[in-house]
Amino acid sequence: MTFMKNLKTGFAAAAFATFGAGAAMAEFPERTIELIHPWGPGNAMAVSQIIAKAMGEELGVDMPVISTPGAAGTKGQITAMQRPADGYTVFDGYVAPLVLQPVLGNADWTYSDFTPLHAAVSNAFAIGGRPGESRWSNFEEMMAYGKANPGELRYSSGSRNNLPHMVIAKVLQSYGVVAQNVPYTQDGNAVKDLKSGVLDFAFVNVGNYIQDKPAFNIMLVLSELPGAKASYDGAPSIADLSIDLGLSGLAPMGWTWWIVNPDTPDAEVAKLRAAMTAAMKRDDVRSAIEAVGFVPLEWDHTQYDAIVGPVAGQLGAMGNALDWEVEELKKLN
Amino acid sequence: MLFESVASGLELFLTPLAVSMTLLGVIIGLLIGALPGLGPLMGIILLLPVAISLPPVAAMGFLIAIFVGGSCGGSISAILLRIPGTPLAAATLFDGYPMAKKGRASDAIGIAITASAIGGLIGGVVLIMGSPILANFASDFAPPEYAMLAITGLFAIAIISGGSLVKGLISGCFGLLLATIGTDEFSTGYRFTFGNHNMLNGFHIVAVVVGLFAVSEMAAQIMGRDLLKKPEIKIERPGFNSIFLTLKNWKNLVRSSSIGVFFGALPGAGGVISSFTSYAIAKAWARPDENYGEGAEGGVVATEAANNATVGGTLVPSLALGIPGDASSAMLLGALLILGFVPGPILFEQQPDMVGGIFLVYLASNVFLLIAGILVTPLFVYILRIPKFYLIPVVLLLCSIGTFALQASVFDLMVMLGFGLVGILFRAANYPLSPIVIGLILGPILENNLRRALLISREGYWIFVDRPVAATLLVINILLVVGAFWVALRNRRNKNQLSKA
Repeated sequence: MTFMKNLKTGFAAAAFATFGAGAAMAEFPERTIELIHPWGPGNAMAVSQIIAKAMGEELGVDMPVISTPGAAGTKGQITAMQRPADGYTVFDGYVAPLVLQPVLGNADWTYSDFTPLHAAVSNAFAIGGRPGESRWSNFEEMMAYGKANPGELRYSSGSRNNLPHMVIAKVLQSYGVVAQNVPYTQDGNAVKDLKSGVLDFAFVNVGNYIQDKPAFNIMLVLSELPGAKASYDGAPSIADLSIDLGLSGLAPMGWTWWIVNPDTPDAEVAKLRAAMTAAMKRDDVRSAIEAVGFVPLEWDHTQYDAIVGPVAGQLGAMGNALDWEVEELKKLN
Repeated sequence: MLFESVASGLELFLTPLAVSMTLLGVIIGLLIGALPGLGPLMGIILLLPVAISLPPVAAMGFLIAIFVGGSCGGSISAILLRIPGTPLAAATLFDGYPMAKKGRASDAIGIAITASAIGGLIGGVVLIMGSPILANFASDFAPPEYAMLAITGLFAIAIISGGSLVKGLISGCFGLLLATIGTDEFSTGYRFTFGNHNMLNGFHIVAVVVGLFAVSEMAAQIMGRDLLKKPEIKIERPGFNSIFLTLKNWKNLVRSSSIGVFFGALPGAGGVISSFTSYAIAKAWARPDENYGEGAEGGVVATEAANNATVGGTLVPSLALGIPGDASSAMLLGALLILGFVPGPILFEQQPDMVGGIFLVYLASNVFLLIAGILVTPLFVYILRIPKFYLIPVVLLLCSIGTFALQASVFDLMVMLGFGLVGILFRAANYPLSPIVIGLILGPILENNLRRALLISREGYWIFVDRPVAATLLVINILLVVGAFWVALRNRRNKNQLSKA
């Protein structure tokens, strides 16, 4: 009996020593780190997969991208933040769930509630029409037509109450043009209906544009950054308008900044930041991102407040554009 | 022009790496498709990081082969276990499972694989010959047309409901109601989410399908009396005679493949609708002695030819217009962009060899599917010999892993189990399950396109009459309703006359 007891004690001690030592020596990360992506499968997810693959290589673990679409990206953000704050969940913090939805009152957080890792990518939008349109040839003429025919124009910003919708509504409000927004689940279908004449104009991203340049008349690039204008072969941008929309930097663009739960331990955050910074500097990563029509961003976590803060301020200042559109359309009906 | 593309793509495709990755992709796709929960989309997402490190044609061959194999793999579990491995195979169990019960599991799987491969090849021929025409047609298919087509699709419920039309319609309406859960695309308001963020995008279709079919089927198996018995089933090796069995249904094969290509070419329609529609049409046109629903070979041919032809159809708008036909092709387009190729008309003009290479890997995937499928099938068929005592927990475990993998979400597991209970109750009351899936898939297509069409219209409902294709579909829908009433009245009159006599 005594022998058996000693044997058991010995096994227990050995097991404790093995696992205890293992736990003490274990270094983050020990297992896969999940990136919660707030949209469905598509180009944006492919871009996140490029960065996640490279970041995973830097960390020595796999980094699968989990698509969790819903409620303009807020479903993904809530899902990510409800996970344990242990560094094994990273959120793909697109501007819509991170900044815009809180501005619209659909989320109870602000961008400063999260810990940033590194800026990821941006994607400039433009307002596109069809070449050969007989009613107008440029943006100013389309606005004149829209003002003379209230409620006549049909346009799409993809889904409703997203960033392109807010920016386009702000532009239309500035010109006093009332137009009907038509939401689409898939951006590609909106572009298809623009090409076939069902819609009068639509938001077009760089990816759509480079796929079929002759099919578009890019009337207005929704960014004043020179790089964005160059992506659309020098089409007019909001910097060329006679009116000031109060939008600059990343405010009128789509972008994502990878973030983690603020309770994540500093050591884990430091490793994640170092890995993402290294991944974003790699030439293969940058060229793959650019091939999809997105722009890799170079800002690190120290610049988060300086870059994202003004975006939140500008979007907050133009917050009534969507309500204005709804009210004006109601008056016409 | 396109033949020249294919010829120039031959050099890119005929490399050991491209050919072997295509073959590997088919086998991985078959396995992923056969596992309940996982499907071609999950396979493509998981293996995209591997693919983008390969040369372009090998990478696209790998991913497209997963798409092709995954679209067929779901039929294996549908036939053997009465569990659709993917929602695409939900209609395959109508006749596939009864065939297996009659001891013809090998034939059923052989037919499913052959029909998938031939359907896919027909899709490939259409892809090569008719891309420009189909792309133009798809371009003109706008919200009014989608709304009318969704209504036509809902009529499939009437045909697949089996015994009771009323019960089928109740199930279908249940599916339509489930489809309203989530964020309303138009008002951006939340509907029936009860403050739970997990429900902001509704229920995941795969979690619902696995719950409805797999969990309820396993429950039904547990209640059987043969739980501990080792099944004494004589298993025949499937052979290449499946090809002849499939070709006997050549009219059905061509018709169902055409339906599959048509739905594939329409962005957003997808393989589930095409397989149910093909099945409904095949059943409606069948002779009474073909006994659809009791193990008719034509039933398996119709659904499997359609859902694999849909893959070919889906590549049409994806490659020719740069507009993804469904979520899987959206990931394929992402991969293509990462590899440095921009899909759309420019790709056809500037890199015809790459277009040809993609066409060839798609055709080769279907040929490999036929060969690999028939050779690998015996391994699957031996599942039938495993006592249910062991099989049931393994299947439930695989279902749970597959469903959890969708969004790494415990909520999806609860949805699966909840719908398992719903499935058990529906079965107990003898209500069909498939109309729930049709309602759940067609609900958002109908609602959103109807509302979208009315926003676009400047004359209210007249938009459905002003547009020729929408008007044609509207007339077809009216004729189907009138015809259904006429048949019902005639049957009632005949019944009354018989009872008087």
